[in-house]
Amino acid sequence: MKGSEFEEIEFFRTIQESGARALLIGRRALVALGIPVLTADYDFWLHIDDITRFNEAVEPMELFPTHTSEEARSRGRYVLENDERVDVLVARSVPTTDGVRVVFEELWERRRVLPLSPNVEVAVPTLDDLILTKRFASRPKDLEDIRLLEALRSEEAT
Amino acid sequence: MKIVQPPSLKTRKRLIAVAERRLTPHEVREALAIPLTNSEREESLSLIRWFRRRYPTAGERLAYVRRAYRRWSAVQEA
Repeated sequence: MKGSEFEEIEFFRTIQESGARALLIGRRALVALGIPVLTADYDFWLHIDDITRFNEAVEPMELFPTHTSEEARSRGRYVLENDERVDVLVARSVPTTDGVRVVFEELWERRRVLPLSPNVEVAVPTLDDLILTKRFASRPKDLEDIRLLEALRSEEAT
Repeated sequence: MKIVQPPSLKTRKRLIAVAERRLTPHEVREALAIPLTNSEREESLSLIRWFRRRYPTAGERLAYVRRAYRRWSAVQEA
């Protein structure tokens, strides 16, 4: 599958229908919420027990994992790729750079679901939780994204 | 109109390294302690409102960014 032929809505439909507990994070999540930022990749935080289910769902789209499920579990992350790149985080919890422990199960419980098209939805963390995930790597661009998310949060709070 | 030349490969690599650098906990705490100013908030919200108005659904927003990224990549490769 070439990048230009990538059917994005079908990609999300496939993930939804797989039943895998997958949260869209990273800049694509910001975009879905209405923040116009540029990004190349897809980032998901996936429940650690759903790796095989997730991989099998996207395999027909010729997205192949860089590691086996077992390897991914021990590494805490892996990549699915062809011309597209999907970064997948699979840890039960991840610490932020400044020491806050962020737990997948808690984010999943609080998740927001955004409609993409009729019958297709994507799950994203709440704004507060998305801000926490932006503190995992804490690169300068993550801090810029946090400020955009804070602006959006201030609007949604009113 | 002044024609701006794109940066060299070396400069681009340096910029990427700076942008991708992982900050220290101290740097993160310092950055997070800086509150949003009203003008920064309004500027960000103005952009967000435009984007949400122009692309009302999450699906449309994601599709727009895919197109924008393709255009940006094409310029970078040219």
